Amino acid sequence: MKRSFNLIDFTKVMVFEVAVFFLVMFFLDIESLWILIAGLALVVAMVVSTKVWERQFSSVRDFFSANRRTVIGILIVLLVLYPLVSPLVIRQNTYWLLILVQTGIYIILALGLNIQLGSTGVLNLAVAAFYGIGGYTAGLLSLRLGLPTILTLPIGGIAAALFGILLYVPLYKTKGHYMALVTLAFGLMIVLALDNTEFTGGPQGLMSIPEMKFFGYSFLTNPGGLNFYTNYYYLMLFLVLLAVVVSYRFYNSWVGLTLATIRDDEVAAKCFGVNTNIWKGISFITGNFMIGLAGAIYAHMIGFISPQNFSFSESLLIVAMVILGGMDNILGIILGTILLTILPEKMRVITEYRILIYGILLIVIPMFRPSGLLPFKPRMYHFGNKGLGKRGDYSHAK
Amino acid sequence: MQNNKKRIFYSENLEINFGGIYALAGINIDIFENEVIGLIGPNGSGKTTFFNVITGIYKATGGHFYFKDEDLLGKEPYEIAKKGISRTFQSSRLCLGLSLLDNILIGMYNNQTAGYFAALFNRKKLASEVDLFKERAVELLTIFNPELIDNLLDPVGDLPQIDKKRVEICRAMAGEPNIILLDEPSAGMTPDETVEMMADIRKVRSTMRDVSIIIVEHDMSVISSVSERVIAINFGKEIARGTYEEVSNHPEVREAYLGKEV
Repeated sequence: MKRSFNLIDFTKVMVFEVAVFFLVMFFLDIESLWILIAGLALVVAMVVSTKVWERQFSSVRDFFSANRRTVIGILIVLLVLYPLVSPLVIRQNTYWLLILVQTGIYIILALGLNIQLGSTGVLNLAVAAFYGIGGYTAGLLSLRLGLPTILTLPIGGIAAALFGILLYVPLYKTKGHYMALVTLAFGLMIVLALDNTEFTGGPQGLMSIPEMKFFGYSFLTNPGGLNFYTNYYYLMLFLVLLAVVVSYRFYNSWVGLTLATIRDDEVAAKCFGVNTNIWKGISFITGNFMIGLAGAIYAHMIGFISPQNFSFSESLLIVAMVILGGMDNILGIILGTILLTILPEKMRVITEYRILIYGILLIVIPMFRPSGLLPFKPRMYHFGNKGLGKRGDYSHAK
Repeated sequence: MQNNKKRIFYSENLEINFGGIYALAGINIDIFENEVIGLIGPNGSGKTTFFNVITGIYKATGGHFYFKDEDLLGKEPYEIAKKGISRTFQSSRLCLGLSLLDNILIGMYNNQTAGYFAALFNRKKLASEVDLFKERAVELLTIFNPELIDNLLDPVGDLPQIDKKRVEICRAMAGEPNIILLDEPSAGMTPDETVEMMADIRKVRSTMRDVSIIIVEHDMSVISSVSERVIAINFGKEIARGTYEEVSNHPEVREAYLGKEV
């Protein structure tokens, strides 16, 4: 069933997305307290109203999912244009560029954790530790051995994956909460080890890690008068898109199905031929690779890492992004991550109430959306334009 | 009696004890190609334990069991499933949040060829495999209840009890196993639904020619109507075997169910 191009739908989607794009930029720019609170109230109202008017929203959702290729295409174009447009709109452009790049790192972290926690049900409380392993590996390799970025990034991911294999040896013998406990202990161990090793700089961490350099192009160059964070922005955009595609392809395949069955009923999975230990390991290691890669990017971008960056509270934050966004729902997790990274920055204006409001949001959202902002949806098995489509497609089979 | 048929499964003195208590105390059961066996016995007599042992969930502490002349003792559940034994569960073990389609598709896990790398790099192969398996899932559902096809992409948790059981049976059939173990298919059903379930089990028989079915059931009407021979066990031991009439009139069976006459 190939969809023909529909100009009206295309225009609708474009107007909507461009409007949202500018609204978001204005929101980032606003420094007035009251407008900020109004904006927050609007977000909360939207979350609540999707719950109250669920039926009305489902028709809107159907429209967008029918035009998903257009939605994604325009979104990517807008994201590519952002660094060019934003200096005209946002006063503290550089600062927000940095925040957006960090958001990108968190999205990769959350998507990595999602493969473990959301898809397979393996609660990894050592996310920050694997994040750190990736960061320290990339940092040490470029500081001590002068390896180029094109090698340090993937090696950072591979190092986290290898440590993941190491941890998985004791891990696979445990179940449920005990599994989480083992990862928690591992996370604390890694931070302690980093704190007490001379080689990794101890509590001071690694300083002046070289910036990224690809084929002689330093990421500290200002491209065409734009801020140098623009380099990182485009790299992040590319890597986030890659992470989304990889996550989506896993989700929308036998892999996603196998992992989901393990998550929902391990005994049933075993009884239909699934070697659950192997698959849980594969999922754990794949997730850790993404997490380690994010760490390597962070190390190069900030140039300074220390054990405090990778503490347990950092793990909890990433777990919160996955749970709040919606387990095993890629779009939900991206929204959850954006919410938990942009909002705290935005609320710096209201200094003393910042944490309070943040906390209230963390309580209110799960009350109205107990399975996350966007809950898990049945797998549709989309392949390019060809998906299983709506249920009506099967009427011929009767 | 079964001389013309091939024996595909047999157990020899199969035993399992949990902390000294024998849940199975020497079970010898033969399964021939293409037959329906009713396995009966009072609560706690070891019926479900028998299923759990031959699917590898519990590890037998004594004896052997052979499937297609291969000793499967000590094998993992996933290895046994690959050989061709599949099952349903007493308390439904469907993934309630997943769609009907997903729940049936996992039954075809052993037929999948598009794995981890195909998911990332060979979407074409995966797409054609999904199409093929989906057709098969639709085919299976049509046998039991064509209306379920409309709910193919809905969470299975929203279905009524009997349809859940049907999905579970579809899942067990999907991988084209040689033996299907049905653990109390009529549990929690009304008498009307039970009648439908009996018809469903016969449909399984007529659809899959080479399959052997073992049914554990408390509802004797199901056993008498669908099974060709019946084995009764109590305290982990066989007490009678034969046709339904022979077994149901066997004094030890009556005693096990009704108690001793005073």
